[in-house]
Amino acid sequence: MALAQDKQTTTPDIFRQFSEHVVKIEVVETGSAAKATIGTGFYADAAARIVTNYHVVSKLIHSPERYRIEITNTGGQTSQATVLGVDVVYDLAVLHAPRAHKGFLQLAPIQIQQGTRLYSLGHPRDLGLTIVEGTYNGLLQHTLYPKILFSGSINPGMSGGPTVTQAGSVVGINVSTQGEQISFLVPVERAIALLERTAKVDSRTAASFLPEVGRQIHAYQSSYLAKTFVGAMPTLALGPYELPTKPAPFFRCWADAVRRKDLPYAVVNHDCSTDDYIFVSAEQSSGIVRFNHQLLSTGELNPMRFFSLYGGQLQAGKIGMIGNEEEVTSFRCETRNVALSGGKVRSALCARQYIKLPGLFDAMLRVAPVGSRNAGLISTLSLSGVSYDNVEALARRYLEAIKWRR
Amino acid sequence: MAPLGYIEILDPKGRVSVRHPIDAFPVTIGRGYTNQIILDDPYVCPEHVTITQSEMGRLVVDDLGSVNGLRTADDGKTVKNLPLHSGGKFRIGHTTLRYCTAVTPVAATQIDRIDLFSRLASPYIALAAGVVVLLALALDFFLANIDRVTVLRVITEPLVAISMMAVWAGIWSFVSRIVFGRLYYAQHFLITCAAMLVSLFFNESSEWLEFLVPNSHAVWAASVFGSAAILAVSVFAHLSYASGMRWTSRLYAGLLVSMAVIGVSAITEYANREKFSTVMEYSGVVKPMDARFLPARSLDQFMSRTAPLKKELDQLLQKAQTTQR
Repeated sequence: MALAQDKQTTTPDIFRQFSEHVVKIEVVETGSAAKATIGTGFYADAAARIVTNYHVVSKLIHSPERYRIEITNTGGQTSQATVLGVDVVYDLAVLHAPRAHKGFLQLAPIQIQQGTRLYSLGHPRDLGLTIVEGTYNGLLQHTLYPKILFSGSINPGMSGGPTVTQAGSVVGINVSTQGEQISFLVPVERAIALLERTAKVDSRTAASFLPEVGRQIHAYQSSYLAKTFVGAMPTLALGPYELPTKPAPFFRCWADAVRRKDLPYAVVNHDCSTDDYIFVSAEQSSGIVRFNHQLLSTGELNPMRFFSLYGGQLQAGKIGMIGNEEEVTSFRCETRNVALSGGKVRSALCARQYIKLPGLFDAMLRVAPVGSRNAGLISTLSLSGVSYDNVEALARRYLEAIKWRR
Repeated sequence: MAPLGYIEILDPKGRVSVRHPIDAFPVTIGRGYTNQIILDDPYVCPEHVTITQSEMGRLVVDDLGSVNGLRTADDGKTVKNLPLHSGGKFRIGHTTLRYCTAVTPVAATQIDRIDLFSRLASPYIALAAGVVVLLALALDFFLANIDRVTVLRVITEPLVAISMMAVWAGIWSFVSRIVFGRLYYAQHFLITCAAMLVSLFFNESSEWLEFLVPNSHAVWAASVFGSAAILAVSVFAHLSYASGMRWTSRLYAGLLVSMAVIGVSAITEYANREKFSTVMEYSGVVKPMDARFLPARSLDQFMSRTAPLKKELDQLLQKAQTTQR
């Protein structure tokens, strides 16, 4: 009962006290005046700088000639804002608007316990400023970089908004959700660090941020890929093969099998993927490393027919990745039969380059061992937003990690 | 004694319907029974024209004052009289006549294609070839299909293919019928069957080649020119039974058709490669064979291919950046 009373008294207070420092952020297409993105931001220091998510303003950074940023305060006054700094890896951006604003939300690293009640502010789906209650559930354990797990409903549009304690101190910045009250926050320390290294006044054009975005992604992917498929890692026995699995602690792996009575063959799938990814643009992200082992086996099909299935499945991966002509080049591929230490494989490596962030690539390596008459494996490694050095290094390490059981 | 010449009455298509030997001049032509040459054409007068020979031996057709007159065969102009040479034509009423003598040249002899192949091309052999192709198609379908299949399903699709082949042979037979007045159906069907069998064998071989030697320009060229050759040879063979062309002309025709097909597919291929796509085009062919015999590169050799791949991607990037600016 005490808790319920507590809730009744504090939530309206929190909203009353702090909502005036929260703004709506819209990225508007200059030509048509159409809203391209809606998000939330908040005043974070005495210089009236505004913190939001990088993904809220990414369209402006990718096409500065096509978009502008408009911020609207709780009084309904609108002004145009400029970008002062970005942190792509943590999905943060610092903006500045010419209109003066008194007061700001307190950003300070504080120790809080799991279960502490927190309040998230934002503009869900442009429905007006909303306050959402939830609880603090600590930092995620399996991600490469820390994220706060917030058990409350953050919805699209609330991105970039603050999540505060009862005292109004910002704990994290709303960033993403998996639905069902599972939401994620960027820890406030990252926003403090970005504010520290960002200029107080705007001296840069929006266009100059794109190379910076590229540099940040480069640094990020090289730091985490350096730890992937390196050294002793767990292996998985699948049919006659011994294959890599969970190559670093920040990977998650799962498996499933298809054994249907109406099919003359069986399929076992083993998938691994990183949860960490960084938002590059609406159709691109970086840092996703995925791999999949698909074991095909049969006791019924003769070798010729089994290899029709095997070849068909191998070709089926020709389904592409998403992407458009402005962002990425077409794919180019190399196919060879390769002798690995334990046996021979058909191996195809395909890659494409990011047009606005040159030097970053999407790549896919597909490996299929040959020689067995009634078992086959299609193993696929996909990388997005990585440097070419890493495409080469990971492809090599992945091929070296494929072994045969004797 | 041999006649001096012949007056030929031609049908509307220009073929001879009646041939009258001429032993002496003058010759009168008309609808009446007093004439040497009697015509049943209602537009011809009872006494229409006469052909006389001058002292110099020249022949002249003279109009005998007919209602519809004497006309030239080429442009239908009415004339009072017309000099007549060997092979010369004239028109009275709706009838065209020609005068021929021993010196009139005749068309070259047409070749009757009753050769060894034609004697082999009996309906029974064509039927047997059809059964062989059906079995080959059924085997191909069975090996390419990974479901549990029934005999009925294995036979149905090849039957559809065989019917298409039968129609194809029928179209060629139709042409033969027009040109030679004979169908040569068994021949056309045998040619179609042979082309199908060779294509099946060729496709399987080029898949194996692609498996053994991936990403090879030579293999790619061989498969393109192989398909072109099959097409050229089959057009050549069909034309042998559907046209009076010399063998060189038939060869040119075959090459022309296959080059046109290659040209169109090369243009499409090029356009697709230049077009933006999110699809990865790699060669995923695998075949059941002992790995010991499979030619393979070392891992280092495979990784050395990544540099040219990067170069291609840099070229694509450059092109994209210039077009977007």
